[in-house]
Amino acid sequence: MALNTGKILRVNLTSGKVNTETVPEKIAADFIGGRGYGIRYLYEELTPGIDPLGDKNKLLMLNGPLAGTMAQAVSRWMTCTRSPLTGAFARSVCGADFGAWMKFAGYEIIIIEGKADRPVYIHLTTEGCRILDAGEIWGKDTKETQGWLTQNHGKNTRTACIGPAGENLVKYAAVVSDRRTAGRCGTGAVMGSKNLKAVAITAQRKIQLADPEAYDKLAREQVATIRDNPGFLNHKEWGTTSTQDVTNAIGIYPVRNFRYGQLTDYEKIAGEEYRKLRVGDMGCYSCPARCGKVHTVKSGTYAGAHSEGPEYESIWAFTGPIESSSIEASIAADQLCDDLGLDTISTGGSIGFAYELYEKGLLKKSDTDGLELIYGKHEPMVALIKKIAHREGIGNLLAEGTMRAAASMDKGAELYAIHVKGMELPAYEPRGAKSQGYNYATASIGASHCYGYAAQDIFGSPEPHPTDRFSEENADVVIYNQDNTAWHECGVACAFSGGWGWMDLFGKMVAAARGIDKYTDNAYLAKVGERMFNLERAFNVREGFNRKQDTLPKRLLTEPLHTRKAPGEGQIVSHQDEFLDKYYRLRGWTKDGIPAPEKLKALGLDFALKDITKSRK
Amino acid sequence: MSIEINIPPVLQALAGDVRQINVTGSTVGECLEELVKQYPRLKPRLFNQRGKLPNGINIFINGENAYPETLARRVKEGDKVHISYIVLGG
Repeated sequence: MALNTGKILRVNLTSGKVNTETVPEKIAADFIGGRGYGIRYLYEELTPGIDPLGDKNKLLMLNGPLAGTMAQAVSRWMTCTRSPLTGAFARSVCGADFGAWMKFAGYEIIIIEGKADRPVYIHLTTEGCRILDAGEIWGKDTKETQGWLTQNHGKNTRTACIGPAGENLVKYAAVVSDRRTAGRCGTGAVMGSKNLKAVAITAQRKIQLADPEAYDKLAREQVATIRDNPGFLNHKEWGTTSTQDVTNAIGIYPVRNFRYGQLTDYEKIAGEEYRKLRVGDMGCYSCPARCGKVHTVKSGTYAGAHSEGPEYESIWAFTGPIESSSIEASIAADQLCDDLGLDTISTGGSIGFAYELYEKGLLKKSDTDGLELIYGKHEPMVALIKKIAHREGIGNLLAEGTMRAAASMDKGAELYAIHVKGMELPAYEPRGAKSQGYNYATASIGASHCYGYAAQDIFGSPEPHPTDRFSEENADVVIYNQDNTAWHECGVACAFSGGWGWMDLFGKMVAAARGIDKYTDNAYLAKVGERMFNLERAFNVREGFNRKQDTLPKRLLTEPLHTRKAPGEGQIVSHQDEFLDKYYRLRGWTKDGIPAPEKLKALGLDFALKDITKSRK
Repeated sequence: MSIEINIPPVLQALAGDVRQINVTGSTVGECLEELVKQYPRLKPRLFNQRGKLPNGINIFINGENAYPETLARRVKEGDKVHISYIVLGG
């Protein structure tokens, strides 16, 4: 059985040099792939304190060891870098076909360094890699860009690109592939800062596996397991377009910038209503779930708006923050964000912030280019999206994200900036799902729902044990969710597929793909997850993060939640300090939230000790 | 035979905001029948028109997924049954 650790394509945009490397066996054994490789290489290669939008930052694109194979829900890919939004470690996961195409071209990691002296794109084929002029597509939206690249390089081409938001260095710009996005953390702005418009890959299917015969058997078993799983069948039917039915029912659908837990006129945005506008569905490579539900608006102001989505987070982002019940406006807004290359969550959060500032009189009509930001009015929201992407007028302020915008205003706006480490909160109210909230507070990348999703609080999942969703004592559950998510993302396994009954096969599949037997032990996978999370923490500590930034927004700590009709009225986050003490203790970190030397040694992260020691002085 | 049933947050409103209840029964199906007798509003969420579990609902017995043939699975005194909505996320 041949060892198959994966190959790296390194492209330096300053010098134009391109070279290929092989991942050493030790790194493969310790970090598996995907997000594991992402933090391992970033930690080693980035100098602490560099400007995230400067030429010293690096942008990594990574798939996983299973990408491009017949197995399902494992061809996702991600970007990793230092985030311009948070200053912390960034990882942002994306779907579509690009991850499989990277593998067909022969690579698991693309490391992009330096900065081009003019707009360029990278074209990669099995014959080689070229850096080409992007003058004709700079300024174009993501749909036009991808269309141009396919026209020029053929239909076997898949791309990852930025839109105007990335070019204009919007702090939460996304990288877009087909109609899927690596949305969070502003990795599209890093791409824009390098004058890199796109990476295009033209390739035919070609896969290398350590043990193809064993892998084939396991992949067939995986497909059979998933096919009849009720979770899979539900996801195939609905995608995430009905999650609001659950979150609104239990009072954790954030409304008016995290003041309320239910939406007035909720029934107008129920899953069944989106179902009426559904015209098709789309999926990622080798995944029959096809969970991307495509909607078209048939009449009214937004007639003709057409989008793969919105999925749950984007449904929320364009209804909850401004208390709108227009599903048509949400579809138009979703389409705009995908075209312009914006993260929908931070866009919606920033717009919700602006609406509240307008309500409080901290922004006036003269500040908003004449827009009246009144709750329920969705037309200004759609106008703001364009302004943010192009940094026009008020859009220039909001393009910085809520943390920086509030700091620059200096009028008491900080209370209304709902973020963790600079990243806007997603669509789950922490006061009604506290383990989910504490995941936001402690996740390496800021407020991400996907970094340790608390299914225990939200759906009643009993593993590792059931939780009371209002309890602030479940630090062990938060850690369990975070570490499990970490090793799943070595795959890169789709987050949704974790509930489809196949994860017991994951380690065996990765072992057959790589030729490294130790992955077959689930306890080892858990250790890899813990190792990754600790190295991400060490990365952040090296950048100056500690306990101080592990906090939920002030509003959630000081103002009671109003759920309207759901349970949880009056809930508040009241024991954050006690939670952090317990969380750090269970993690093996100091009271300041810094991994203790013994913990780093136990996880084989001795190389991080010198940086941590410096940070503790 | 007393079996503990844990109701997920999203269904608690249909069960008088109760999170946990003890019922009697020798199979998961019998326990759920007993539950919906006490809280009839839960019935359409736990049984489809053919009397089967609808898509989207998972049952765990002492932390183990009871799928497939969920309703026929045997339970014994002291078992803890968790009704879990499928993780939709997003």
